Amino acid sequence: MNVATPFPQITQAHPAGIPSAEQILELLPRPVLVVGSDGLVTYANTASMTSLAAVVGSEMHDLFPGCALNLATMTGAPSSLLVSRDSENFDAAIAALGAGQFLIDLRPSLHAQCADKPSGLDELTGLTKRNALLAYLSSALCTGPASSVAVHCLDLDRFKMINDTLGHAVGDLLLKKVADRLTAACHKDDIVARIGGDEFVVLQRHVEEEGAAETLASRIVDLIGRTYVIHGHTVNIGVSVGVAIGTNAVQARDLLRNGDLALYEAKKAGRGRYSMFKNGMDALLFARREMEIDLRRALALKQFKLNYQPFINVTSNRVDGFEALLRWEHPVKGNIPPLSFISLAEENGLIVKIGEWVMRTACVEAMSWPGEMIVAVNVSPLQFKADTLLDTVATALKRSGLPAHRLEIEITEGALLDDTDNVIQTLNSLRELGVKISMDDFGTGYSSLSYLQKFPFNKIKIDRSFVASDDADSEAILRSIAGLGASLGMAITAEGVETAEQLSRIRGERCTHVQGYLTGRPMGMDQIPAFLAQNDVE
Amino acid sequence: MASGMYRLVYYSRNHIAHNEATFGSHVEEILEKSRINNQRDEITGALLFNAGCFAQVLEGPLDKVEAAFERIQQDERHGDVSLLALDPIDRRSFPNWAMGFIGTSDIHAKRFAGIGLSSGFDPSRLSGDEIHALLRDLAIEEEAA
Ligand SMILES: Cc1cc2nc3c(=O)[nH]c(=O)nc-3n(C[C@H](O)[C@H](O)[C@H](O)COP(=O)(O)O)c2cc1C
Repeated sequence: MNVATPFPQITQAHPAGIPSAEQILELLPRPVLVVGSDGLVTYANTASMTSLAAVVGSEMHDLFPGCALNLATMTGAPSSLLVSRDSENFDAAIAALGAGQFLIDLRPSLHAQCADKPSGLDELTGLTKRNALLAYLSSALCTGPASSVAVHCLDLDRFKMINDTLGHAVGDLLLKKVADRLTAACHKDDIVARIGGDEFVVLQRHVEEEGAAETLASRIVDLIGRTYVIHGHTVNIGVSVGVAIGTNAVQARDLLRNGDLALYEAKKAGRGRYSMFKNGMDALLFARREMEIDLRRALALKQFKLNYQPFINVTSNRVDGFEALLRWEHPVKGNIPPLSFISLAEENGLIVKIGEWVMRTACVEAMSWPGEMIVAVNVSPLQFKADTLLDTVATALKRSGLPAHRLEIEITEGALLDDTDNVIQTLNSLRELGVKISMDDFGTGYSSLSYLQKFPFNKIKIDRSFVASDDADSEAILRSIAGLGASLGMAITAEGVETAEQLSRIRGERCTHVQGYLTGRPMGMDQIPAFLAQNDVE
Repeated sequence: MASGMYRLVYYSRNHIAHNEATFGSHVEEILEKSRINNQRDEITGALLFNAGCFAQVLEGPLDKVEAAFERIQQDERHGDVSLLALDPIDRRSFPNWAMGFIGTSDIHAKRFAGIGLSSGFDPSRLSGDEIHALLRDLAIEEEAA
C-alpha cells in the first residue's frame, strides 16, 4: 500500500512477536482513514478498502456522497454520522494529526443500520430512499451550518393520470426520466431521493448564496415540466415543489415536514410551481388538519343539520319551496359557516359524503311539508366528478318517497367548467328522473351564455350582488338576465332580497321568484309550519 | 425494444446570450456534439436557428430519437421546447445529414427573406410539417450548392 504520509510511530521497530501498529490497523475489522484537509484520502486500511472501496487518492465526498465534511469543526466532537455510497451509516470519530491531516475512525452505526439495511437504493430509479435521505439530512444539519441546507419536496402533477391511461410500463419509464432530470438539475453533492410513488425529495447543499434554493426550485419546475417522449407517446406532467431551508433549531424530520407544508401551499396555489416555507404555515395547516379531523367526525356525530330558506313566487305571493342550507354545529366552536369548511371538504373529498347526507335528509324532511312544496338542494362540482350523483339522488327519492318534481338541484357554473359533456349527461339523466335543475349564483363566475344553451335549466338564480346594488349597471344586468331567462322559458330567482324597495324593483324585472331576508330567513325544520301558517294569513 | 423509424420535430426558445461570438461558439459546440452522437445513434436531421428560436428535425430509430430528445430537453441553452410532431416514417428526409445547420449562409438568407424572415420569422407559427418541409428544402438546396 502506498502511504503518502508515513507515520513515524508505525515504522518504529517493535519487540519480536508484537505486531506493528500498521499491522494492527490493517487487521482492524473497521475502516480507518487518514484524510488531508483537501478531502483526499492519504491512508486507507484494508477494511476501508473492502467496505468503502476507499484507496489512497479517493475523495471523501465520493466515499460519502452528500456528507458535507468540515474536518476541522468535526474534530473532537463525540461522533458524526457519515453515510457511504452503499447507504451504510458510520459513526465517525475524527482526530487531528497535525500538518493538515485527520484520522477518521469509522464505526458502523448500529441502530441506524438496522432501519436502513433493507432499503438501499430505489430499485426503479437508483435514487436514495427515505431512510438514507433522513440520515444524509441529519448529518448535513449537524456537520455544517444548518442554513446551508435546503430540502425540496416534490410531487408530480398528473402522474396518476399518465399511469392510468398509458400503463405502468410508461409510468415507470417516466419516473426514471424524472429521476434523470432531477439528477441533471442538481449539483453532484446534492442528494436526490424518491420517497414514494411520485414523490421526490432533493437535499441541496451550499445554499448560502442568496436565492440559491429558489434558483434550483424554479429550475426543477421548468425541467420536470418539459415534454417527455416515451415509446412514441408525448407525455406532459408538471411538478409542485415545497422548499424549506435549514435552521439550527430544526431536525431532519421537521425540515422535511416544513418542505411538505410549503409543497401543500404550492399545490393549493395551482400546482406547477414552487413555494418557500414560511413560519406560520405550520400553524395554519395545523388548524386545517384539526378542522379536517373534526369534519370527518361531524357526520358520524350528527353535528350537521339543515336550515331552510323559503323562496316566494312573485306572481302568487306564495311560498313555492325552500332551499336547504347546511349548518355545522360544532360542539366547541359553535356554528361554523359553510364558507369556512366547504372548500376544505371539497379538497379532501368529504364533500361527496356530506352531499349524500344533505340529499337524503332534505328529501326526508321535505316529505313533511304540505302540498307540492319544493326542496332545493345544492350540489358541489365534485359530486359530479364522483360519478355517484345520479345514484344518490335516485336512492334519496326512493327511500323518502318524495316525488321527483318536488326536488330541485342547484348547480354552479363551476360544475360545467371541466368535463362538460359528462356533466350534461348526468344532468339529462337527473332530468329524466323528473328532478328540476337550476343554475345557482349566475353572474358571479364566467356567466357564459353558452351554458344556458347547453342545458335547459328550469331556473336561473341571479346572484345577490345584482340585487343589492341599485346602480344602473346592476339593474341593466338583472333585467337582461331575467329577460333572457324568460325567453328561454326558465324561471328566474332574485337572491338576497332584503328590503321592500328591492322587492318592488324585482317585480318590475320579470323575475319569477325572490329569496332573501325580506321574504324569509333560513329557519330550522321545526319553524316551518308556523312560518307557512303566518304566510298563508298574509 | 424493436424500434421503427420516427421523425420528431420541435422548436424552442434560445437561451444563449445574443452576442454573436458566444452564440457562434455555442452553436458550433452543439453541432459538433450532435454530429458525433447522431452518427453513433443513426440519427439524421437538421437544426435551424432564427429569431431567438431553434427548430429541429430528428429522424432515426424511435428509442434513439427519444434518448436524444431527452438529452436535448435537459439542455439549459434553450427552453420552452414545443414538440410539434412525432410520427413514424418510411424513409429519411435528411439521409446524409448527421445534423445540418441552417441559418447563416446567403442562400438561406434569401430563402428566409421569401417567407418574411427579415420581419422576424417565427418558427412557433409553423406546424411540424411546415418546419420539416422548410428544413428539407433548405437541405436539398444546400446539397446542390
Ligand atoms: C438546440 C439544440 C439541439 C441539439 N441537438 C442535438 C442532437 O441532435 N443530438 C445530440 O446528441 N445532442 C444535441 N444537442 C445537445 C444535447 O442537448 C446534449 O448537450 C448532448 O446530447 C449531450 O451529449 P453527451 O451526453 O454525449 O455529452 C442539442 C442541443 C441544443 C441546445
